[in-house]
Amino acid sequence: MHTAPTDQLPRLQSKDDFLAFQKQAQEQWDGLWNGDRTVVSVGIGSSSIAKGALDVLAACRNELGDSAIVRETSGNGAFWMEPWIEVKRPNEPPVLYGPLSTDDVPGVLAGARDDLTVGVRGDEPYKSARPLKEHPFFKDQHPILTRNAGLIDPNSIEEAIAQGAYQGYFKVLFEMTEDEAIQEVTTANVRGRGGGGFPAGIKWASGRKAKATPKFVICNSHEGEPNVYKDRQLHECDPHRILEGILIACIACGAERGYNYIGGEYPLAIARFRKAVEDAERIGLIGHNILGTGKNVAFRLRTGGGAYICGEASALMYSVMGVRGQPRTKPPRSVEEGVWKRPTVANNTETLACVPDIITRGGEWFASIGTEKSKGTKLMTVQGPMARCGVVEVDMGMTLRKLLFDIFGGMKEGYKFKGVQTGGVSSGPVTEKELDIPVDFDSLTPVGGMLGSGGWVIFDETTCVVDFARYLTEFSRYESCSKCVPCRLGNPALVEIVDRIRLGRGSEDDITLIKRTAKHVIELSLCGLGQVAPVPLEGMINVFEDEFRAHVVDHVCPTGHCPIAAREPALAAAD
Amino acid sequence: MAQAETRHPAHPVPAPYTGRTAIDLDVVREIMSHFHYDDFEEAQELILSALQEVNEHFGWVSYEAAEIVAEALGTTVNRVYALLTFYADFRTEPRGVHHLLVCHGVSCYVLGSQALVQHIRDHYGIGDGETTADEQLSLQVVNGCLGVCDWSPVVKLDDSYSGHQTPESLTALINRAIAGKQAKEESNGAHSAD
Repeated sequence: MHTAPTDQLPRLQSKDDFLAFQKQAQEQWDGLWNGDRTVVSVGIGSSSIAKGALDVLAACRNELGDSAIVRETSGNGAFWMEPWIEVKRPNEPPVLYGPLSTDDVPGVLAGARDDLTVGVRGDEPYKSARPLKEHPFFKDQHPILTRNAGLIDPNSIEEAIAQGAYQGYFKVLFEMTEDEAIQEVTTANVRGRGGGGFPAGIKWASGRKAKATPKFVICNSHEGEPNVYKDRQLHECDPHRILEGILIACIACGAERGYNYIGGEYPLAIARFRKAVEDAERIGLIGHNILGTGKNVAFRLRTGGGAYICGEASALMYSVMGVRGQPRTKPPRSVEEGVWKRPTVANNTETLACVPDIITRGGEWFASIGTEKSKGTKLMTVQGPMARCGVVEVDMGMTLRKLLFDIFGGMKEGYKFKGVQTGGVSSGPVTEKELDIPVDFDSLTPVGGMLGSGGWVIFDETTCVVDFARYLTEFSRYESCSKCVPCRLGNPALVEIVDRIRLGRGSEDDITLIKRTAKHVIELSLCGLGQVAPVPLEGMINVFEDEFRAHVVDHVCPTGHCPIAAREPALAAAD
Repeated sequence: MAQAETRHPAHPVPAPYTGRTAIDLDVVREIMSHFHYDDFEEAQELILSALQEVNEHFGWVSYEAAEIVAEALGTTVNRVYALLTFYADFRTEPRGVHHLLVCHGVSCYVLGSQALVQHIRDHYGIGDGETTADEQLSLQVVNGCLGVCDWSPVVKLDDSYSGHQTPESLTALINRAIAGKQAKEESNGAHSAD
């Protein structure tokens, strides 16, 4: 399919223009897959680029020249099969091959490398290849937000529209009132995907009610957590879905400008989203008098500079306004006073990405997925010594055991499971016996875990929990914005105490001291970062008490990981 | 008009950063000429984006460059420095000829990135944000994630990623890069008139 440069796209002036454009895009899309030329798609995402996917793309172009269509698509979340290519020969279903190197390309394109086959896209097996959706990694996924991943070219607005982009926006513009749109989101009961779990419908309703003008909508795409990249994946695979969600929120809340704030560490996500905004502006979905409705929405893309704290809503808004991202006390809440002291509705990327489908398919449909209190699907990032790594989208309420051991294939050969660090860096770990708890916003709380933004890190028997707890506390110490005292001084103090334990100079009192210091930091810090910073450390102490006691009582590190292990046992005992 | 309302910072294609670069202030002015704003509020929103472009282009932002950014956006150099020193992406000192990013995400940590950072400290005498005395190598520990977790522990040396690193393989990687660059410079020198 031909991806038009921005300046060659038509400007759509009315409802009919849009429908005609949609129809044309649909025909082009069908033509691409039913034509008499071979179509080779290469999955390009930040993780596959690191593994040389751009070279594979160049090799395909080189090998095939004009004899076939070679196109770029996004990564599909399955890191273990990258770099991959999909080959669709005339009258055959598309077959995926991976992981491959540039040397494998000629063989694959000649059809001589069946050993690299991963599966067939579609429902029917073809020759020896099974459908990809029957692969354990994909079998239990429920792709709604990521259904275009690895399918459309993320740089093409035509392909996105052919796959249904902007239908929800269209519906909000022409077929329903603002209040009805908010009602659908409320019915869907979609809760904030950034970790807070606050219902988006309530936020939107208070945004709509706010009297001051102008109002803004801001999409929080800043994920600085060291183990989560769901928003990066969403931006890279389907930028138009996020943009559509923001635009719907703007119309529904009566906001005159939408913002998206992306962390600067994701250049590809920024580039693809920027192209999406430029294209949408060009065809007239953003700007004045959108499709002749008389409605106006402006859009601004802003990028961050690599500060984790900017994921906090008020810090993010300060960052947008070009100052240091340091949170402020609330109230006033951002929905009353946000960017430039105007009412601002702030939502997570994943929350806004749910919106287009909620509008087109109805809030009831969305609410039928997931558990009683947590609706819909959730993107999960899993890392550690696992058989497979990547990003998946599953229904809320799946058990951790199924997620880790079925979808991600369990531990890598030679590693033994010890625990899972939950909720990024803001929560405690869970162990083997808690793996059967369904994962949603609330069920992990009683055992000291958290869904958070859906990042799970598996650690194995060789990881020392004291050292790991230090790492997690050190992360928060580094990222503290140093505005308020408890977080600025409390976290370094905690790191110091843990260091003392790691060096074999700890005593039992240190455990009590940690708990007391942690309480101060948690109770007295201004924002969410400080309030959860000591939680992983406390969680590690609660769950792996024996291992901590071994460090402070016997002065040994059972895994041999801490500096304590390098000391003479006699010397350690003498301390 | 619609155009004025919905504008984003235009983006000159940044040349991929290679090697240690002095900052050409004319290029900074050229970058800044792509930033347009209607009012003081919008100008302030653009400071971070502008710094990011300069930082991406040269690998760091000098005081003089910061002054140009401040002037172009109608603000003060103090304000610009407040941002430069707060956000982790920015550097106010030049990088080494080779710039090494060591991923310190949780996954890389679990699989041994700490040992890599320690190894660089022992072997090359530099920590996070520092450059070796011979200006060949600078280190940045990414307190976030490079996002290639199935390759943990991951490093990025100049433009290329390498996974499953051990201290030994990392030394080999760095030595190869330094030797390669020097060989290239020597052969360039042999052919050029000066």
